[in-house]
Amino acid sequence: MHSSRLKQVRKGLVIGLFVLWTVVPIIFMISSSFKGTGDIFTLPAIGDWWGLMKFLFFFSASLTQFKEIFLHGPFLAHLLHSFVATALSVIISVPVGLAAAYALSRARIPGKKHLYFWVISTRMAPPIAVMVPLYVMWQTFGILHSMVGLVLAYVTFNLPFSIWLMRGFIDAIPSELEEAAYVDGKSRIGAFIDVVFPLIRPGVGATVILCSMFAWNDYLFALILGGGRTKTLPIGIGELASATSILWGQIMAGGLVMIIPMVVLGLIIRKSLVTGLTMGAMRG
Amino acid sequence: MAEVLLKDVVKEYGSVEAVKKLNLCCNDKEFLVLLGPSGCGKSSTLRMIAGLEDITRGQISIGGVVVNDTHPSKRDIAMVFETYALYPHKTVFENMAYPLRVRKTPGPEIDQKVRRAAEILEIESFLDRYPRQLSGGQKQRVAIGRAIVREPKVFLMDEPISHLDAKLRSHMRGELKHLHKELNQTFIYVSHDQTEAMAMADRIAVMNLGELQQFDTPQNIFNKPVNTFVAGFVGDPPMNFLPSLQTLEGDKWVLKFDGFTLKVSEKLRSQIIASGTKFQQDLEVILGARPEHIILKTERTSEEDMAGKIYITEPLGSYMIVDVMLGGERIKVRADIGFNVEPDDRVFVELPPDKIQLFNAKTSNSIIHPMDDVSGCAANGQ
Repeated sequence: MHSSRLKQVRKGLVIGLFVLWTVVPIIFMISSSFKGTGDIFTLPAIGDWWGLMKFLFFFSASLTQFKEIFLHGPFLAHLLHSFVATALSVIISVPVGLAAAYALSRARIPGKKHLYFWVISTRMAPPIAVMVPLYVMWQTFGILHSMVGLVLAYVTFNLPFSIWLMRGFIDAIPSELEEAAYVDGKSRIGAFIDVVFPLIRPGVGATVILCSMFAWNDYLFALILGGGRTKTLPIGIGELASATSILWGQIMAGGLVMIIPMVVLGLIIRKSLVTGLTMGAMRG
Repeated sequence: MAEVLLKDVVKEYGSVEAVKKLNLCCNDKEFLVLLGPSGCGKSSTLRMIAGLEDITRGQISIGGVVVNDTHPSKRDIAMVFETYALYPHKTVFENMAYPLRVRKTPGPEIDQKVRRAAEILEIESFLDRYPRQLSGGQKQRVAIGRAIVREPKVFLMDEPISHLDAKLRSHMRGELKHLHKELNQTFIYVSHDQTEAMAMADRIAVMNLGELQQFDTPQNIFNKPVNTFVAGFVGDPPMNFLPSLQTLEGDKWVLKFDGFTLKVSEKLRSQIIASGTKFQQDLEVILGARPEHIILKTERTSEEDMAGKIYITEPLGSYMIVDVMLGGERIKVRADIGFNVEPDDRVFVELPPDKIQLFNAKTSNSIIHPMDDVSGCAANGQ
C-alpha cells in the first residue's frame, strides 16, 4: 500500500517535470506574443509567485505583435511560401512514396533488398552533408532560389523517408487480403484502394505529419537553396533577430502562428491514427 | 458447366519445380480434394487455378475457357483461404456483401443474399461484428459465407478448417459436404488431412513432391492404392509394410518375409495376372496390409497364422490399436476393445490373402493395381 503510493508520487513527479520542461516554453511564447515589447522583460522577482502567475497568465493582453508582423512586413508572403513548399512536397512525397513502398513490399523484383537499402541510405546522411553538391546541381539545373528547387529539395529527403515508413505498414498487411479481394472481383488497384489503403491509413497519416513537419520546420534548405524569393517562415522569423535588434515580441508571435498549422494537422490526422485494425482478422 | 481442366501444368519457383506436369480433370459439380503432405504442390495448384500464381508451363481451363492469362477477378471463382483473409475493417455483413458490391448488385438483393448465406452458416447474430471479435470457427464460417453469397463457377478451398479444433473440424466436415450438396457446384478443396479427404471428396487427387500419385474415388484410393506413398498416406493408422520375397515353392506362389511364408491366394494370383504383370521368380516386393484387415488371435487356428508378440496396446474407446512384433517387424493391428492382451503376450496374426497389397520394392508401384490414366480425364466419372 505504502510503496504503491510512493510509486504514484514518483510517477507524478516525473510527469510534472516533463510537462514543465516541454510546456513552459510554449506558455512563455504564447503569453509573450500577446504582450507589448516592454512587458516581455518585466520579469517578476525571485520568490514572487503571484508575480510569476501574473507574468505568464494574468497580464493585459494586446495584439500589437501580431499587427506588427502581419501588417508591416513580409510575414504573410513567408507564410504563403511555407504553405506552398510544405503542401507541394507532401503532395508529391506521400503518393509517390506510397506507390514505391507498395511495389517494394509486393513485387518480386530481383535485388529488391539492395534497392530498398539504397533508398533508405539516401536518408542516412545529415542534410548538411549534401548541401554543397545539391547547391551545385540546383545551380546547374537553374532551379536555385526558386520554389521548384525548394520543393524538390524537400521531396529528395521526404520521399525515401515516406517509402521507408509506409513500406513497414504495407508489409504488415497480409497479401492474402488482397488476394481475397482479387477473387471477389477486384483488380490490383481496386484491391489496394478497398483493402490495403484503409488498413494503412494510420501509417499514411503519420507519414503526412512527419513529412509536413520536416518541410515546415526546415531552416537549412530554405536558407541555402531557397534564397530571397522563396523565404519561408523559419527564415523570416530568423531575420527578426538582426545585428541591430532582436524583436522578441514579433519572434514569439511568429512562432505561435507557425506552430498552429502543425497542431491543427495533427488533430485532424489523429482520428485516422488508430492502429491495431488488422488484429484478429486473420486466424489466431 | 464448370469443369476444371489442368493440362501439363508446371510451376517452377526459380530452380525448384513445385508442380510437375500435372494433368487433372475436375468434373462439373464434383467435390475434388487435392491431398498430400505439406510441400507437395497442392496449394500451388489451387493458387494457379485461382490465378494467384502464374503458370510456368501448361494450360488451365475453367468451364471450357482457357484462363492462363486471366486475372483472378475475371475467373468467376470464390476462394476460402487457410487464414480466412477477412477484411479487418469491414463488419461481417460487409465482408460477405463485398463480392456482391464489387459486382454492383442492388442493395436489397445484397441484403437478402447475405442474410440467406448467414442463415445457412448460422452466423446471423454476428453480422454487425468485426472479424477481430469472432472466434476461429466463426471467422471460418464468415469466410465461407463470403464465398457462397454469389454463385461462382468454382469454389476453391485452401485447408479452410485445418486450424480449427478437432471437434469443430469434424463438425465442419459434415457441414461442408452438406453445403456442396445444397449448392450443387464444383468444389476443389486442398487438404493434408486424409480423414477430411476421405469423408468429403467425390474424388481425391493424391499428390507428392509436385507429382500426381493417384486420382480416384476415396474407396479406390483406400482399397486400390497404386503405390506405397498413397497406401501409406491414406488410412489411420497407416498401412503396414513388410519387405518380402515373391517366389515359387514347389508349384505354389508364396511370399516370404522374416522366416514366415504366406501362400498367394487364387484371387490375388488372378489379380496379378489380370494386371498384366508377369510373375517373377525371387522378386523383392513390399507386402502391404491395413491394420483393420489383419486378424489377431490368441490361438493358432490355421497353419498360415504367424506367431508374434504384443509390443504395446492403445485402447481408443470403441476399438484398440495393438502393436505386434512379427519377427523383426513391428506392425499395427486394429482390434476389438475386448481383445484382452498384455505386452509380451504371444499372439497369432492372420493376413487375409485377399486383402493384402503387393508393391514392387524397387519402383514402389503396386503390382496388383497398376497406374493407368492418372489424370482421371478419360474416366470422366466418379
